[in-house]
Amino acid sequence: MLKYFSRAVSTAVGISTTTMFSARALQPLTRSTLCSPNSGTIRPFSRSLWMLSHNGAASVYRPKLFSSKGFTPVSCGCGSLHTDGDKAFGDFLSDEIKEEKKIQKSNTLPKMSGGWELQQNGTEAKLIRTISGEKVTVTFNVNNSVPPKFEEEAEQAQGQKSAENEPDIVSSPNFVVEVTKQAAKHSLVFDCHYPEDEASHGEVEEESDIFAIREVSFQPEGDVEWKETAYTLNTDSLDWALYDHLMDFLADRGVDNTFADELIELSTAMEHHEYIKFLEDLSGFVKCN
Amino acid sequence: MGVVLRNLQNVVPLRRARLRKDVETLRHILGIQKFDLGVICVDNRKIQRINNIYRNKNMPTDVLSFPFYEELRPGKLPCPLYRDELNLGDIFLGVEYLMKQCQQQSQDLHGILTSVTAHGICHLLGYRHETEEEWKEMLQKESYILNEFNRFTGRQLVPLTKKCSQDG
Repeated sequence: MLKYFSRAVSTAVGISTTTMFSARALQPLTRSTLCSPNSGTIRPFSRSLWMLSHNGAASVYRPKLFSSKGFTPVSCGCGSLHTDGDKAFGDFLSDEIKEEKKIQKSNTLPKMSGGWELQQNGTEAKLIRTISGEKVTVTFNVNNSVPPKFEEEAEQAQGQKSAENEPDIVSSPNFVVEVTKQAAKHSLVFDCHYPEDEASHGEVEEESDIFAIREVSFQPEGDVEWKETAYTLNTDSLDWALYDHLMDFLADRGVDNTFADELIELSTAMEHHEYIKFLEDLSGFVKCN
Repeated sequence: MGVVLRNLQNVVPLRRARLRKDVETLRHILGIQKFDLGVICVDNRKIQRINNIYRNKNMPTDVLSFPFYEELRPGKLPCPLYRDELNLGDIFLGVEYLMKQCQQQSQDLHGILTSVTAHGICHLLGYRHETEEEWKEMLQKESYILNEFNRFTGRQLVPLTKKCSQDG
């Protein structure tokens, strides 16, 4: 439960972070008008609520909405803001990191079969393979790769109320396959994804392919800007025979259902690793550095 | 619409385009091109689960058919009033089960898949093999379909009904 709930919080971090950044921009104004020898630095957020409930500013006036306990600043001499909230947050993060590390399957990433070489750059990874002179590169990013849980899945989890039966978080990223033939100026690029209804594993009714091709286009070879003017074949209304040929083409180059399943395992492990690293960085940032 | 082909398994490498082409040939022989058809390739785990749920048989099998029209007279094509009734149903192919059979009998997997699909389509068209009479009727139909198929393609497929009287 803790693991699942904390993930739900982590996906909301983007929103709360934005709020904090905008509040941070107001800080200089806040300090100059409200700072008193006794109260220290007052959080910008509390100021905006104080203004709602009181007229005029008085440097010794304490906001009614908040008790002094919740907002007693801690002074440690490092020059940063530390509040009781920050301490609670830091303690929460320490516990969360311990829990996440406990459930982490392995410290090393799972290997892909088929001789794929993995290159990682933060949350982005590339799997590269050469087959008879053809280079195949699969690129994916673990950001935004965990599909949201739907109500019926939450209800299923509730039906068996125990931590062991909580659905695992699975990362099923969109991925791009580039196939480059020797001495070619262009690569054939496939934009692929995992259809949503395949995310609910174990159901008899699932009838989607494990992965699907969304778009196909020719793009300049190498790390060059995406060519927007290149014709892009969308598979939504594509002849199904052509689609099957494209899938067979990928399968011959090692991008088949086995690959797709293994990619989910790899991406899930990577995403978990990045999540723990983020929590550790966050913990360091919140605590006294 | 047409043939909805899905590959839900990673145990057996499949040539989708080849299977689709063969199924299209079967549809042409039977004159059922205007009807939608689903062909779903699954592994032993999935087909065993479906077999257990719908037939109370907790074991993998070669093919399971789910007709859209459940009371068809064998060989009589439905005459639907509405466009969304132009559907014959779904055929689940137990490709892992069939692959093992092929290995034991030194046969070509895609040939077997096509024979089994022909058997499955016969079920969607109302054919059964629960009595001897039904079995003979179905075998006759399958033989006709595959003879025509072999004539078009130069291959040598044989009916599934000959080999199995209980499953599908």
